[in-house]
Amino acid sequence: MAGALGLVGRLALSWLAVVAAAFLLLRTMPGDPIEMFLDQMSVQSGPEIVAAYRAAWGLDEPLTWQFLHWLEGFVTFDWGVSFETGRPVAADFAARLPYSAAIGVGGMTLAVIVGFLLGYLAALRTGGAFDAISRGLAVAGQSLPAFAVGLVALWVLGVELRWIDAFGGGPVERIVMPMLLVTFFSVGAMARLTRAGFAEVKRSPYFRTALAKGRSRPAALWHHGRAAGALTLIAGLAPELAWIIGGTAVAEIVFGVPGISERVVQAVSHRDYAILQPYIALLALWVALVLHGARGVRRALDPRIP
Amino acid sequence: MMRFRTAKAVASAALIGALLAPISAAADGVTVGQTFIAAGLDPAEGSNGWALVSHGIGEQLFKVSREGEVVPNLAASATLNGDGTWTVELAPNRFFSDGTAVTAETVAMALNRTGESNPSARATAGLLTFTALDEDTLTVSTEQPTTILPSILAEWAFPVYRMDGEAPVFTGPFAVTTFEPGATIEMTPNTFYADAETRSDVTVRRIADGQSLALAFASGELDMAFNLPVETLAMLEATEGETVTFPVAYQYMMWMNTRTPALADPQVRRAIDMAVNRADLVTAAQAGVPATGAFAANYPFAAPGPLPFDPAMAASLLDEAGWALGSDGVRAKDGERLELVLYAYPQRPDLVTFQPVVRAALAEIGVAITTQVTESPSDVAGSGAFDLFLWAQHTAPAGDPGLFLSLFFETDAARNYTGWSNPDYDALIAELRAEGNPQARIGLALRAQEMIAAEAPVSFLVTPEWHVGLSPALAGYEPWGSDYYVIRPDLVAAE
Repeated sequence: MAGALGLVGRLALSWLAVVAAAFLLLRTMPGDPIEMFLDQMSVQSGPEIVAAYRAAWGLDEPLTWQFLHWLEGFVTFDWGVSFETGRPVAADFAARLPYSAAIGVGGMTLAVIVGFLLGYLAALRTGGAFDAISRGLAVAGQSLPAFAVGLVALWVLGVELRWIDAFGGGPVERIVMPMLLVTFFSVGAMARLTRAGFAEVKRSPYFRTALAKGRSRPAALWHHGRAAGALTLIAGLAPELAWIIGGTAVAEIVFGVPGISERVVQAVSHRDYAILQPYIALLALWVALVLHGARGVRRALDPRIP
Repeated sequence: MMRFRTAKAVASAALIGALLAPISAAADGVTVGQTFIAAGLDPAEGSNGWALVSHGIGEQLFKVSREGEVVPNLAASATLNGDGTWTVELAPNRFFSDGTAVTAETVAMALNRTGESNPSARATAGLLTFTALDEDTLTVSTEQPTTILPSILAEWAFPVYRMDGEAPVFTGPFAVTTFEPGATIEMTPNTFYADAETRSDVTVRRIADGQSLALAFASGELDMAFNLPVETLAMLEATEGETVTFPVAYQYMMWMNTRTPALADPQVRRAIDMAVNRADLVTAAQAGVPATGAFAANYPFAAPGPLPFDPAMAASLLDEAGWALGSDGVRAKDGERLELVLYAYPQRPDLVTFQPVVRAALAEIGVAITTQVTESPSDVAGSGAFDLFLWAQHTAPAGDPGLFLSLFFETDAARNYTGWSNPDYDALIAELRAEGNPQARIGLALRAQEMIAAEAPVSFLVTPEWHVGLSPALAGYEPWGSDYYVIRPDLVAAE
């Protein structure tokens, strides 16, 4: 009980430190959100209108007071309104979350399933076709620009072949392509991680014993290696999962999906603190939970992990 | 067994056929793709008013015509009274999309609500207070005196609406049927708007990336793609339909800081102004036309131009001003080299593209330029910590020249970034401010531009152009009015 309370306390303190630092960094970023808004909207105004906006957006208070005011609002679910749109932030996030979650979680789930199987097949025959494919996908995932791959996919499938109606379909149709883009950029890394776990088992005495007892190589590797493969996959997956909500900006922008990541990119360019601050706070919370959750799962799978 | 196999083969063929068949490009109605979309439907919030008018959903009492003139829209007239208030007569037979008549009372209620909550509605003349006198007549009192109320009422912050519970209802040619914030608005013709039967349903889709927008147009998903990146035009040549280019009022210019010692001399500023070949800037941006003055050429108060390009004259002006050409190709005076810092900002990529062109042009006359890019243009310009600053500005967003000429050039004005001061100019702007006659205002605005050109605190460079893709269904639709009136009543799909 005391350990759990200590963990919660440490998590809360870490979260508070991150959001306070983020608050300060955002405010010290070059660019005044009011001037940017007025420039963008061609509002030719004097200092009195700037002051009116500063008051309306709560930017006329001392920084410490602004932070405490924001913190109180955040924990009581009063997240304020976007500077740029005037729309409540919580409602905006709620409307966009399903898209981002579907793209991120769906894409990553597909990457994990395909990557795990590919990693197993790659480990089964080192230097074989699946090994080469997984290596190729991993290199492609690291080296190709996601924006360009997305645009090429749009051009080939949407313009040349006309197989997809990327922008005109319903919500489900709209998320398929960005989800596949996320999968494409993650599957290689997932496969290589899994392969490493399986490969370690292949070198172990108990694997050789299983073969000696007459089990086939595929069956022996699957039976003895899948836990090791899963362990290495989870270790590598945790940081990826931490960015699953919000790390899909390119996919959302290229395919015109109204997700959270796309909104955050827009908010950065307008210095819309009202959007950025709760996003960072949520992200910090999510990262902490995912990393601790993954550690718990790994401990459950392998009691030797401290 | 054979029959089962045949059925499976037919099903497979059908599935493959369905997958391979090109998706039908033509759907019922018109689909418009653009990089922005209304964030909400309440015109009192954020910048919704601008987007709602741009989408053809809302309308103001006055609007800016294609010719750049402020003309009545939901209003029939506006008259300045002796006590400084205005009387506005509403146009007859105008209705909201639910069939309710537009009355003075509903207009007053809406615009008073907007004025209270949206600071942008108070930018030009302070808070406007609307009072209904009768069914069709309003009086408007303004916090600060103004002679240009029609122009103010044409600003984006003033669409007319009525609140039906929590939902606003508008008067524009299209009415909203479904709205997904940040993504899509589906609209149907407003049946209470003239010629409604000629219009189709319209879907507005937001596609934030310009390249994706171009691909969506090329794939046939869009009937209109608004503001295509110039580099996609070659790809779209093979696409069915056409791309139309039109000038927009976001003028590109270069501020010259008169507080910089070298630039305090008008001769040096004039030399710089005439050393830059505007045609080269157009070539660099791959779009636009050389600017003739502060305003795009379609406005009645645009200067006739052209602005001079004469490097030889520029060099002789610098010679006269005492800046002698050194052996290293850079001019100097009293031991000071003529070295200047030129700023631009990435939010307007064309301006960054202009930097090397300007640097090369000024090097020709012996002015050394160092280029800088800032993400905070207003901060840097406002602080005065620059020599030259490439800038983009909509100079007449509500069809009137007065505000730009005042706010950016009057002595000690809020956005007088260059620090320029000229008492004669200030007197002229005071006259312009007091003048209500549109023709007289045009004359004063032209004189103001001549005074600016004579002392060159700014160099007006290029009137940019935007590109719009139109499918055959929208052939002949002419975009104008920058991004203020993208969807207008004449958006009618061909049979």
